[in-house]
Amino acid sequence: MIVDGEHTFPGPRQTVWDLLQDPEVLAKAMPGARKLTLTGDGTYAGVIRIGVGPVTAAEWTLNVALRDRVPPESYTMQVDSKGALGFTRGNATVNLDEVEGGTRMRYHADLSVGGKVAGVGQRLLDQVAKMLTKQGLDALNKELESRLRDGGGPGDQAR
Amino acid sequence: MSRTYVGTSPVRNEDRRLLTGQALFVDDVQLPGMLHAAFVRSDHAHALIRGIDASAALAREGVVAVITAEDLGDYWQPGPLLVPPPPIDGIVFNQASQVPLAKDRVRHVGEPVVMVIAESRYLAEDALTDVFVDYEPLDPVVDLEAALAEDAPVIHPQLGTNLAAHVVQRHGDYEAAKTDAHLVINRRFHYDRGAAAAMENRCVAARWDPRAEELTIWDTTQAPIPIRNGLARMLGLLESRVRVVAPFVGGGFGPKIMMFYPEEVLVPWAALRLGRPVKWTEDRQENFFATTQERSQIHDAEIAFSADGKILGIRDFFFHDTGAYDPYGLTIPINSQCTLLGPYDVPAYHSEFRAVFTNRTTVTPVRGAGRQHGVFVMERLLDIAARELGLDPSEIRRRNYLRKDEFPHTFQILFQDFAPLYYDSGNYAPALEAALDIVGRDTFRAEQARARAEGRFIGLGVVSYVEGTGIGPYEGARVTIEPSGQVRVATGLGTQGQGHYTAFAQIVAEVLDVDVDRVHVVTGDTREFGWGTGTFASRGAVVAGSACHEAAVAVRKKVIETGARVLGVPADEVELEDGAVRVRGDHARSMGLGQLAGHANPLRGAVVPGTEPGLEATAYFGPDHGSTASGVHAMVVEVDAETAMVKILRYIVVHDCGKLINPVIVAGQVQGGVAHGIGNAFYEQLVYDEGGQLQNASFMDYLLPTALDVPSVEMAHRETTAPLNPLGLKGVGEAGCIPTGAAFAQAVEDALPHLALEIREIPLSPNRLFELLRDAGPADRAPAAELGGPTAAAAAD
Repeated sequence: MIVDGEHTFPGPRQTVWDLLQDPEVLAKAMPGARKLTLTGDGTYAGVIRIGVGPVTAAEWTLNVALRDRVPPESYTMQVDSKGALGFTRGNATVNLDEVEGGTRMRYHADLSVGGKVAGVGQRLLDQVAKMLTKQGLDALNKELESRLRDGGGPGDQAR
Repeated sequence: MSRTYVGTSPVRNEDRRLLTGQALFVDDVQLPGMLHAAFVRSDHAHALIRGIDASAALAREGVVAVITAEDLGDYWQPGPLLVPPPPIDGIVFNQASQVPLAKDRVRHVGEPVVMVIAESRYLAEDALTDVFVDYEPLDPVVDLEAALAEDAPVIHPQLGTNLAAHVVQRHGDYEAAKTDAHLVINRRFHYDRGAAAAMENRCVAARWDPRAEELTIWDTTQAPIPIRNGLARMLGLLESRVRVVAPFVGGGFGPKIMMFYPEEVLVPWAALRLGRPVKWTEDRQENFFATTQERSQIHDAEIAFSADGKILGIRDFFFHDTGAYDPYGLTIPINSQCTLLGPYDVPAYHSEFRAVFTNRTTVTPVRGAGRQHGVFVMERLLDIAARELGLDPSEIRRRNYLRKDEFPHTFQILFQDFAPLYYDSGNYAPALEAALDIVGRDTFRAEQARARAEGRFIGLGVVSYVEGTGIGPYEGARVTIEPSGQVRVATGLGTQGQGHYTAFAQIVAEVLDVDVDRVHVVTGDTREFGWGTGTFASRGAVVAGSACHEAAVAVRKKVIETGARVLGVPADEVELEDGAVRVRGDHARSMGLGQLAGHANPLRGAVVPGTEPGLEATAYFGPDHGSTASGVHAMVVEVDAETAMVKILRYIVVHDCGKLINPVIVAGQVQGGVAHGIGNAFYEQLVYDEGGQLQNASFMDYLLPTALDVPSVEMAHRETTAPLNPLGLKGVGEAGCIPTGAAFAQAVEDALPHLALEIREIPLSPNRLFELLRDAGPADRAPAAELGGPTAAAAAD
């Protein structure tokens, strides 16, 4: 399954970068996230709860490793998630560009989805992925706006 | 014999039980203290198992046992090779049977890894989520050709290759035949997977009775006796201490054959081990992943013709997907190989296949069992050739049918019964003409043109096929007249809706001249009858039916002999009439069969030396060759050229399964088979992604045809009786679904003569057909000819 698209954050690139590396922010932004903790340099572990269409919501363990980090421009993400209903694994690349009005994030994820969720939820997977991505980006947007309102982060200097 | 039952359709003996809910299905088995099993199954198509942590599951309340491969000890063994490969020169066969639980590697999604046994299915299912299996994913093998590449990941490392088999069979000399060809056609054809989708899923229940020292297993199997024999061996029990009962089963269609599925092997083991009854009922999800499937093959076929449209020879190379394991040997590709030849005179044939392991669910026979593929390839080649030669599709078939004086006919290639492919009897051309008469030989093209003028696209497909049925090795039957005068018939088959309780009763009732409903048939219980193989390959009626007949004839002989003794007249003066023996010409001197049965089992005196007590006999029947059924299917479709939706307007079957035992049961088999075939042609496809993940594992996404999609079949029967069994029977169980895809393809092309459309794949779907229509250029062919009349030879019949 390919999940790709772009989104423009109304804020400076460094602030967006910092936001995207912060487990607390990510835990809040990630739909269904029960917890997310930093377990090492650029590695996160957590638990999320997601259902897909007829597949009842269930808990998934999530391991994410950020690689090839070029702050504040780009990184890749290795995603490994599994639960009783199957698994999702794969890689995603994230690029941040400075554009007029803020920072444009381009993302491209190539995920393999397996088990019950693939067999039964297939025709909804794309929609669910899009919906979850949108929910996540909206939440990140909110978080960014509140950071900027509260006096901004270290990214301000970079501006 | 005054009563005739064979060839009639009495009310079915089993229907009262089925319709009133009194029939026992395996899931109806409820025993005190019964435990329930559920299985942790692989989410991965191909992965190593690095570890399993089942401790949390075991700690859950209500969980009785959590079993991994390690826990099975010596009981962990790959399953038996169910059908060894035929003795073909130069054959390569690499065996890899399924294992009870994956030990170090999983090879398809849905493969069982851990068995959980709990006080209820709910608890067992809950506990599944407690089990942690640590997988290391491996690259999956899905594509048949890529699987054989040098650098492909190997599914069974001990084999060092994904090649499951390589077989070459030849009849005549194709290369020589081709040199004089007027026309040579070469095409690639794809056939993809579908599910058997039986209404009842698999189910196994087992109970160990320590006082009787007997293990009883209720199993939705088509072959209870082989399952009993195998499980007795695996469990170290006497065969006589294992009883396998296959009660009513809601559809078999092949995957319920003697598979020794992991669940089938583990549930009895657990019952024995835990000392409590255990049951497992497959849910539909599991069925999609873990019950065997069929039909992925890729054929590269070439056919050579003379200028007058006679087949000179055929060469076919094909790949056969056997899935993750190959316990059923080569039955399917051998069937494809043999059935391709169809009802035609093919002087030269070179057929070569490679069976390939893939990380998909294991492939074993599903109704048709490879025959579809061969028929599809052959019939498509004929259609393409007919177009090239300017012949009507029916005409090219007429020119190539084997004539009725050419039987028995042998091809020098081995069939699934290990004997040279042998057509015992047949008469093909008249079936085609009968089908065209039903279609409307003189009116169809005019109707088509009229519809066309209204902007409707109507098309006709007419195809032929043969089906090798009724193969050995043997079946048996025991017929007993009880003191009540009622008759009991026991056979070893399993029954899955074929009407055995009636068809076998008809055969016996006719011989013993009693009412059909006084003949009680039991099947599928190894305690009732312990010798035989099972219900598959359209063989039940032919092989077990013949055994029932032979046993009934033996009982009849005993009746006459006992009657002569009791009535005090010579045997040739005794007649059996209306459930009684009587003296010929003196009907007052008679005795009912029940009373006679009492005389055959005396309480005092002695049984006459050299005779056996009771009016009972057991007989076995094993034919030298199967019997070759055949038929013609015609389909009229209407294609919506914009949406690519196809509506089947008419479906015509002219079928020849020899002597009909029960025409209504035969009609039901054909109608059901056609439904299966229509699903296979246009609705049903198991879609796997490149990762080996099944994408449509539910009836929301996997389309089964409904009653609205399947027309009532217009049927005609021909009876070319089989010479190799006493009643002249041929099988009918698979006939309906074998040529359906080929008929569908021809009909859709015929509906759209303005397009250069050539259908070389099955299943189609509206989506896929839409793409084919979109990509098809304009046709440069002449409009369809009249359907034409029979040749003089066929008309003479």
